[in-house]
Amino acid sequence: MGRQQRPIVIAAVSAVIAIAIGIVISYAIHWFPAQASTQAKESDTLYHVLVIASIPIFVIVVSVILYSVWQFHMKPGEELKDGPPIHGNTRLEVFWTAIPTVLLLGLVGYSFVVLRNNEKKPAHEIQIGVTGQQFAWSYQYPPSVTGGAAVNSNQLYVPKGTSVDFAMRSNDVIHAFWIPAFRLQEDVVPGITTHWRTTPTLTGDYPVVCNLLCGLGHSLMRSTVHVVPEAQFKAWIASQLSASSGGSTSGGASG
Amino acid sequence: MEAASIPHPAAHAEHEHHGPPAANRSSRVEPQLLGMLLFIISEIMVFGAFFTAYFFIRIANGDPWPAHGTTLPVGVAGMNTAILVSSSFTIHWAEQAIKKGNHLGLKAGMLTTFLLGCSFLFIQINEYANIGFAPQDAAQQTIFYSLTGLHGAHVFIGLLLLLFVTIRAFRGHYSPEEHRGVEVPGIYWHFVDVMWLVVYTTVYIL
Amino acid sequence: MAARFRAPGFYRAALMMLGGVLFATALTWIVRMATGHATFHHYLSPDAILTVSLIAVPLAFLVGIGGFDYWFYWAAGRATRPEDHSSHGASSWKDYFRINTDHKVIGVQYTVNSFFFLLVGGLIAMLMRAQLAQPGSHFVDGNTFNGLFSVHASLLIFLFIIPVFAGLGNFVIPLMIGAPDMAFPRLNALSFWLLPVAGLMMLGSFFAPGGAFADGWTAYAPLSVNAPIGQTFFALGVQFAGASSIMTALNFLVTIITMRAPGMSFFRMPLLVWANFATSLLVVIATPFIAASQFFVLLDRALGFNFFNAAKGGDVLMYQHVFWFYSHPAVYIMMLPGFGIISEVIAVKARKPIFGYRMMAFSLLAIVGLGFTVWAHHMFTSGMAAWIRIPMAITTAVIAVPTGIKIFSWLATLWRGVLHLDTAMLFALGFLTTFTLGGISGVMLAMVPFDIHVSATYFIVAHIHYVLFGGSLMTIYAGVYYWFPKMTGRMYDERLGKWHFWTTFVFFNLTFGPMHILGLQGMPRRVSTYASQFADLNLFISIASFGLGLSTLLFIYNIITSWRGGPRAVGNPWRALTLEWQVSSPPPVFNFDRVPTVVGGPYEYGVPGAVHGIFAPAPSPTVADAGAGVVHAPSQ
Repeated sequence: MGRQQRPIVIAAVSAVIAIAIGIVISYAIHWFPAQASTQAKESDTLYHVLVIASIPIFVIVVSVILYSVWQFHMKPGEELKDGPPIHGNTRLEVFWTAIPTVLLLGLVGYSFVVLRNNEKKPAHEIQIGVTGQQFAWSYQYPPSVTGGAAVNSNQLYVPKGTSVDFAMRSNDVIHAFWIPAFRLQEDVVPGITTHWRTTPTLTGDYPVVCNLLCGLGHSLMRSTVHVVPEAQFKAWIASQLSASSGGSTSGGASG
Repeated sequence: MEAASIPHPAAHAEHEHHGPPAANRSSRVEPQLLGMLLFIISEIMVFGAFFTAYFFIRIANGDPWPAHGTTLPVGVAGMNTAILVSSSFTIHWAEQAIKKGNHLGLKAGMLTTFLLGCSFLFIQINEYANIGFAPQDAAQQTIFYSLTGLHGAHVFIGLLLLLFVTIRAFRGHYSPEEHRGVEVPGIYWHFVDVMWLVVYTTVYIL
Repeated sequence: MAARFRAPGFYRAALMMLGGVLFATALTWIVRMATGHATFHHYLSPDAILTVSLIAVPLAFLVGIGGFDYWFYWAAGRATRPEDHSSHGASSWKDYFRINTDHKVIGVQYTVNSFFFLLVGGLIAMLMRAQLAQPGSHFVDGNTFNGLFSVHASLLIFLFIIPVFAGLGNFVIPLMIGAPDMAFPRLNALSFWLLPVAGLMMLGSFFAPGGAFADGWTAYAPLSVNAPIGQTFFALGVQFAGASSIMTALNFLVTIITMRAPGMSFFRMPLLVWANFATSLLVVIATPFIAASQFFVLLDRALGFNFFNAAKGGDVLMYQHVFWFYSHPAVYIMMLPGFGIISEVIAVKARKPIFGYRMMAFSLLAIVGLGFTVWAHHMFTSGMAAWIRIPMAITTAVIAVPTGIKIFSWLATLWRGVLHLDTAMLFALGFLTTFTLGGISGVMLAMVPFDIHVSATYFIVAHIHYVLFGGSLMTIYAGVYYWFPKMTGRMYDERLGKWHFWTTFVFFNLTFGPMHILGLQGMPRRVSTYASQFADLNLFISIASFGLGLSTLLFIYNIITSWRGGPRAVGNPWRALTLEWQVSSPPPVFNFDRVPTVVGGPYEYGVPGAVHGIFAPAPSPTVADAGAGVVHAPSQ
């Protein structure tokens, strides 16, 4: 009996080691770009939870396959042999129906918690308009943000530590406003205004990407988001206001 | 069973078996009938997709219905509904007639049904010509024309089927034993009628 | 000569197609003239003629080749004749190029035609990878690149995966259930000939003014509404491919329901039959939605309707709802028949009954039901109402349960079996590995906050290829190797087959594995150039993809040489129990001399004296009502 069980013990031990190594590697790999918002932090944690939950499942599947190939492959002389006629095992089937159901519902429940935290409206937030058109982005800073006239710019500046609500509109076809460093995106749809909100936490310049095929120039529909300290943001707004003070109302009216 | 290569059907037709063994019938439902019912499921889903469009434009977006400045001829369309519904009865009558072996009844029933269907389509086209708006005007007009037009296309297909059945009826086909050729197109025609009741209710009345 | 043009065939088809073009020209001219100069500046518009031609010419071709002949007889009131079988069987390769009502010939036609489009689609992928090997390269221009990935996806989805399963099913299912043919052989023939039409139409779009359709296979409105005429080729090509799928699905359902052999209760059907039954339900119910979505686009394009014109009250998101209501179930249409193939292969090659047969069948039906409730998980970032994400995320997570049941049951089937590790089995095991990965990334994508980040990125590209290549294509290879002796009467080269498996498996993972990271890192899909930070991984992927492309040549070489000169196959080389293996290879023209009687389950390997079907009259009627898993072997 002991000798028969040895391969299974070897397989089980290797599987456990593989799971451990897999989890370690999953932390070592540099999966994401810079983590520049509170939402990114939550969503990266979710990702790691998902990976840790997935590794054992994958390892178990592969272990069973490899173990079967190792132990049960046809040996010489077994050409006409059949396996034992096992038709099923209700207890086992209930087990592998129930456990994944619970696991999946648990994970999806946790993802809703993350979603709610990420989309919660904070006490204070500013709104910035985003307009997509083939093949460029432009940004509208309303008077509530500028403290003066509305500003329309092709540059995106956001203050660090303040929640920003992007109100997105399209002038032609569907685009998607994606900032990988914030881990957030949403389609920009003609006819409706869509939103997402983020709180930037890390100063720096990050790419803004159009992530929905919008035509010939889609590959080049890029922009940059500048996350800057509050004071610098105010200064930038002030410079925009003074620059456009000549042709005052041009920005806000077009949106 | 030992034939390794496929024998050429023409070469062997005379001396080997002349066809396949009769298939076992594992269900009481006729294959043709079942095929038509499944096809109607597909058709219902086509209408379902158009009704989805209708739902989004009229209900989800809350656009006024009918669009401002347009009216739908509810009365005329109601007349038309009556015409189409009565054609369902006449085709049923034709089916009953042939089941009893009454060829004259079959011919009369089919011809009446066909003519009723034609008048429905004619009135519908006439309605398009006089309704005073075009599908290019706005989304409501688009979906009005699309739903009624989709149904009209089905009436047209149904009429073709009815025409073929009528031709065959006048050529003396069908008998009390063999009347599936009337029955299966008949089911399609009933479907077209029922679908019109749905379209009429949602588009004109509600 | 005149007779040549009157008899159904390619000559008549060519003539009819010419007529189709003339008809389209005349029709548009008359309509434009009747509606007047105020609306139209020119009576002859190339776009209008092309659009109408794209409907008229394929139909004319089908009439010419003879797809409708019988129904014309019927319509004209001539005497109906029962199937005369004159077009059964194939004695030379030329018989594969005519209307043929034999399900085995149609099965081969389907399969070969599908693999032709696999090669074309694969070649297109190679061009794309050549462009993407370096950022900012100019191997092809931007518009061509957009056309390449759109045609790549459309061909492989609508002209390869969906029809190749229908082809294998066409060949095998009537044999498996003990039927002499499909329920509607003429419809079956017509459904095949729609496919080359649809495929050539999509390929032909490359020659259209303005280039091929370039809006992705999803063809989101309003981009597709304002695109050049190439988009019409897609909108109409999909109609023909969709009509073909619906016809075949209808045929499968009616055949399976009404033509099973005596004793073949539903729970004695092989799981491949179950899988195609479930798939056909999905096709019949869901396919009309993609047809409608493309009708909407076409009406907007050609006649100026306002379905997707936001300025006139149209609704852009409606397109996505209608489109995904088909295209999500389509994922299962592309996967369930593969599940069926894997069940056949694993049971036979592991010499064990399928573990939990009934759960395997029920989980298929569960996937069918749940498959209709998850479509909006493609739209988590679409701007639809936020609450819809919650039910859709839950159903998406739950649909992994029946899929998991299948995976675990296959693993349990392997356990303590006698594993014959030939090519078909290797592909089945490879499938289990890669599809598990695809399933796992699928579950991750159900988690809304994560999906918000990776939606429409290379993570999605990786996921879909793990599901459709690592999932569907692996099962297709397994199925082709498994039934190759039955379909051709020849054995394939096992050594080459194993080489094919290992090269495919390794290069597949090297190609698509790193794409997950690219997506997480922030590389969007459907771009012809990218930020330089992604350059290393992309070069690596491109090189691996060329290896993957080359590995396919091993398969093609093996199939062609084996078909021409492989050793003759015996009737049942795998010692399988299911009925298709109980006749000669290839099967006789009419499948069976006598309809077999089924007396036991299809997978009773290891059960002493187990028999699935016998070719004698039923011993007694009581045998017919027993359930699956219970063996009533005649005493020996």
